[in-house]
Amino acid sequence: MLKTLIDAFALISTWEVIISMFAASVYGLVIGSLPGLSATMATALLVPVTFYLSPIAAIATIVAASSMAIFSGDIPGALLRIPGTPASAAYADEAYAMTRKGQAELALGAGVWFSAVGGIAGVLSLMILAPPLAEIALSFSTFEYFWLALLGLMCATLVARSSPVKAIAGMFIGLLVACIGIENPGGIPRFTFGLTDLFGGIEPIPALVGVFAVAQVMRAMLTPEPPPLPRRKFGSIMAGQWKLTKLYRWQMTRGNIVGIIIGVLPGAGADMAAWVSYAMSKRFSKEPEKFGTGHVEGLVEAGASNNASIASGWVPSLLFGIPGDTIAAIAIGVLYMKGLNPGPTLFTEKASSMYAIYLMFIIANILMIPLGIAMIRVATYILLAPRSAIMPIIMLCCAVGSFAIGNNMFGVVTVAAFGVIGYVMETNGYPVAAMVLGIVMGTMVEQAFVTSLIKSDGSILPFFERPVAAILAAMAIGALLWPVMVWIWRKVKQPQTAAATTR
Amino acid sequence: MRLPDSVTGSFLVALGAAAAYGGYILPPVPGQPVGPNVFPLVIGCGLALCGLAIVFGIGRSFEEEEELVPFEDGQAAAPPPQGKLYGLRALLPPALLLFYVLAADRLGFVITAAIMVYVTSTALGAKWKLALPLAVLSPFAIHLIFGKLLRVPLPVGLLPTPW
Repeated sequence: MLKTLIDAFALISTWEVIISMFAASVYGLVIGSLPGLSATMATALLVPVTFYLSPIAAIATIVAASSMAIFSGDIPGALLRIPGTPASAAYADEAYAMTRKGQAELALGAGVWFSAVGGIAGVLSLMILAPPLAEIALSFSTFEYFWLALLGLMCATLVARSSPVKAIAGMFIGLLVACIGIENPGGIPRFTFGLTDLFGGIEPIPALVGVFAVAQVMRAMLTPEPPPLPRRKFGSIMAGQWKLTKLYRWQMTRGNIVGIIIGVLPGAGADMAAWVSYAMSKRFSKEPEKFGTGHVEGLVEAGASNNASIASGWVPSLLFGIPGDTIAAIAIGVLYMKGLNPGPTLFTEKASSMYAIYLMFIIANILMIPLGIAMIRVATYILLAPRSAIMPIIMLCCAVGSFAIGNNMFGVVTVAAFGVIGYVMETNGYPVAAMVLGIVMGTMVEQAFVTSLIKSDGSILPFFERPVAAILAAMAIGALLWPVMVWIWRKVKQPQTAAATTR
Repeated sequence: MRLPDSVTGSFLVALGAAAAYGGYILPPVPGQPVGPNVFPLVIGCGLALCGLAIVFGIGRSFEEEEELVPFEDGQAAAPPPQGKLYGLRALLPPALLLFYVLAADRLGFVITAAIMVYVTSTALGAKWKLALPLAVLSPFAIHLIFGKLLRVPLPVGLLPTPW
């Protein structure tokens, strides 16, 4: 234990790791604070760079950039009422109301402080939850993996704030994309249409870059430019945060726990955590009437929640290769690339690397406080950069980055194609996150499914015979039927309320 | 490009049916009951079913919540000048990426990138005073990071970089 910890320290105390972590932090803070550029996009555009780094440094950049970007999305949310990332959307109104009341420092300070606390709580959950779960996961067979993957996919469709049918359709599209290529149980070219470029299948990373970055540039083409930020002087940012921590310690803890749970659930990420926690905070608050008028309580809880989910989202990723959210989906791609294949054995064979990941998360969250304060102070200048200067650079990074992944022009075609697919899906209410998870998990789902079918000789029964498999199956089927139940419940309730209003 | 649900749903039905058929005609692995054909078959059927459900408007009642995401909120919704071709502007970024694929090997990275940057920047409303310096400088900056530091073999083409 102590030896692995020392090994882990040795792994992260190289100049390469330190510099890449610092650079990625600044990068994450800047991208996260620019409206319309999400944390997922920041991470996706980083992947080509991680190719050329050592494994630990590569993971360090992902960890640092994603944690920072989630916090810095709060900055334009509070100052402009435009959330920098979707994860800040839940409480942008509240934070902006505080700015209007002249409490911008308190709102942003709460953002930094409770983000850092939430992030560290998330790491603790990762440290505590992962090893015992790895123990259990060692006894999993393909049946369990199949249900687990299915449960992950179903969760992704449940939490999408859209029609569940469309979310499931999005998931199927992703799985279909994963079918392309030669990597299937028969080893024959499938859906390649004779194109040799498609033999290797669709790489998840260019697809992600297309869906999250190119589609965003496409949307920018049709939406008006956000207003410039009014210049302002900030007072002390951290003043009063300790008082808030003591005053709202329960809210903070609840936010942390909710964030951790949502993060661990496959498919549900930081944006969901923020929405749920904000709603919960309002529901259980002693003074709910203050919400919406610039009350810090909701910010505390939701800010603590969305950063907690970032770290705990790594639990299913590291254990099963099932991403906890879209950022973790990218992280899984990087882990595979770097030879740290996700799975329960990772915790026994590469224990020092795991400890290094924990340590990097903790460092990133501590680093967030000084860097975040600096970022808040210079945000006025960064947000002056017009969209017409940022988007072209993003386009170039998309082109060069997707080329760099395989030194192959086909990557650029993939990015362009998925930009269009992502844009069309989003505008028509199909959640792209579900598709992304389908693409990332497709091969794994198929492998588990086909191997299980071969083992069971075509019978369905063994899918439910093992106790853990049966529980997971019940959960997955429950998740599938949940929207149906909600629908029926609404149908039953509607006539009642209609009758009540006519009376 | 907001299409009616009946259109997207029908498209999904067609896509699902095509996938299922495509899976069905794949050759099986000799001596094994389940091969590469099973998974596309399952997915195709599922997709077609979802498509049907969408055509018939099942699950529509859940969708109103989607408006809750005030993503680009705050800017008073000034409706942009809407022409018939206005919506096609969204296709500019992917078109530029395809242009990059076709032209980069011949023109070289720097020239292609400069054209991409200039067009994107102008399309987003930049004056030439911003777009031109950006188009001249940013390809070199990106080349320095990716080509020089990360050793990505970017095409040289007509104009070699000074390093």
